[in-house]
Amino acid sequence: MSPVLMFVLPLLAAFLLPVVARGSPRAGRLFGPLVLSLNCVIGILAWATVSEQTQVIALGGFAPPFGIAFYIDRLALLFAIAVSLGVLLLWPDAGEDEAAQRENTLTLVLAASATGLALSGDLFNIYVFYELTAVATYGLAAGRRNGAAYAAALRYVVISSFGAALMLIGIALVYMATGTLNLAQLAQLAPGMLDGPLGLAAFVFILIGAGVKAELFPVNTWVPEVYAAASKRVAGLLAGIISKLALLIIVRLLVLVFQQAEALQILLLLGVLGVVTGELAAWTARDLTRMLAYSSIGQLGVMFIAFSIPGPAGLYAGLAVALHHMVVKPALFLLAERQGGALERLAGSAQASPVACALFVLLVLSLIGIPPLPGFWAKFLVVTAALAQPGTDYLLAVVVILLAAVVEASYLFRVIVQLYRRVPAARVGGGHDSATLTISAALGLVLIAVVLWLAPIGDGLRGIAAQAADRAGYIQAVLPDGASS
Amino acid sequence: MTPPDLGAILFSGAFGLVVIGILGIVMSTHLVRIVLSIVLLETGANLLLMLSGYRAGAAAPIIIDGVIPAAMVDPVPQALVLTAIVIGVAVQAFMMTLVLRLRSVYGTLDIRELRTCLERDIAQEAGIGLPTSDNLPETPGVGPVRTQGGDA
Repeated sequence: MSPVLMFVLPLLAAFLLPVVARGSPRAGRLFGPLVLSLNCVIGILAWATVSEQTQVIALGGFAPPFGIAFYIDRLALLFAIAVSLGVLLLWPDAGEDEAAQRENTLTLVLAASATGLALSGDLFNIYVFYELTAVATYGLAAGRRNGAAYAAALRYVVISSFGAALMLIGIALVYMATGTLNLAQLAQLAPGMLDGPLGLAAFVFILIGAGVKAELFPVNTWVPEVYAAASKRVAGLLAGIISKLALLIIVRLLVLVFQQAEALQILLLLGVLGVVTGELAAWTARDLTRMLAYSSIGQLGVMFIAFSIPGPAGLYAGLAVALHHMVVKPALFLLAERQGGALERLAGSAQASPVACALFVLLVLSLIGIPPLPGFWAKFLVVTAALAQPGTDYLLAVVVILLAAVVEASYLFRVIVQLYRRVPAARVGGGHDSATLTISAALGLVLIAVVLWLAPIGDGLRGIAAQAADRAGYIQAVLPDGASS
Repeated sequence: MTPPDLGAILFSGAFGLVVIGILGIVMSTHLVRIVLSIVLLETGANLLLMLSGYRAGAAAPIIIDGVIPAAMVDPVPQALVLTAIVIGVAVQAFMMTLVLRLRSVYGTLDIRELRTCLERDIAQEAGIGLPTSDNLPETPGVGPVRTQGGDA
């Protein structure tokens, strides 16, 4: 089965859902998870084919560069599977009323458009999917229907629309310079046409546009409010999965189109600023949700630093950090749903639910980067890749990452201490529900599995990064005739 | 005899709209003005996209009676702009809906007051004590608005 179905099925399901739910509310409730499970199966079945050879699917039968193509390599497929799996794990169990149905529909649209984002090989197509993703998240962000949710969502919409307009300007500049929007053809034409100041300007516009979702430094001010005001499930989706998809666009464009050294330097600078501001803000945060939100800004800064390192080494390191964060952050947000709120309120949590607290500690230790947990390995890869680069700017980035880890440890240990502070039995709150515990435990087990099979997983990731960094291979796969406009 | 370059005029117009839009977003304090600034910004971006396919003196890319015009403007950006406009309108409608909801919950459209309300609500939900050091000076000024919001 073609991986295009991974995009088509959830979109179709989103529009069918209201009809199905009208017939039988229970079927409507199971419909979304069913489709997403099917998606995961399709993705895993396609993995074997794609690992041998990348797959190019010309939509509607129009061959690229004129038609729009989906380009499916292991990186794209990995993210597509991660989207389906992640959305499935964070599926709302909201019930069978109409509000729950709307949320389910939006979540399915989100899964579809995020998958399209991962697979698309056309710049404007990417813009459309990006906007579709954005619209779905707007609705989810406002989903709690109280004043704070509306205000936070509106701020998010304003910043996001601002970013989208800039992205459109960037796309217009690219089109002006090259006359094409197909990524493979852009990769062919970029060395002569986009390496000047115009190309750099286009990159900055697109970077800021995509950076809104990727929590890039100057355009991430919506993050703490939205994560605090939306349900923690939505926060987990945005921080864990959607931000990585936006990151994937930036990475693709860097590899294929924008190869100026200045582009990488801008990314490095913004990444460093993101780490510094995110971690310092997390350190001053007084409630768990916003602490996690700021820490996610810091972590994404580390990813930007990693992806600003040229060559497959940077891609490999960035991918490791991104996937690690994709596993850890949603689990932390899920656990925080029950424990959210001011840090002082966390006292006694270990008495209420010892398993949840143990999981929390495991996830947090990995987030800080304590060996032998995978978080350490991911950060270690970034640091070694950055140290292999000449020049003091990467050295500075390493210093920032290491200092940030210390800050991270200091505020996260503060949380752990609170969790295990004993309180009188009367003040012990309720525990976690079993669904949350199961999902977080599954994600925790993933971390432990990575520790056990680090070598094969590392090799696999290195292969994915090498394939993704293969610019000539991308062009060859999409335009086999070597057509150059 | 050289007429002013039409392309240059159009480009500066498009960038002018973009700049006005960005300034409006940054400097306005009224929510509706911010939404309108976004409309301007998007129009500027759309115009720029249109111009990327513009050719002076060229005809519209329509084949009538099998006659292909000698010089046509590029049809691709026009298709793109159409998509962008549709997306833009939908998002703007959603924004206005949120503005209306906010107005009915908090009774104000001033973003400074709304920011305080948002901070307070989030802090309240999290269980952080109200008078945090950073919003202490503002708190008395916004008092009446809050009670209004509670009534609505």
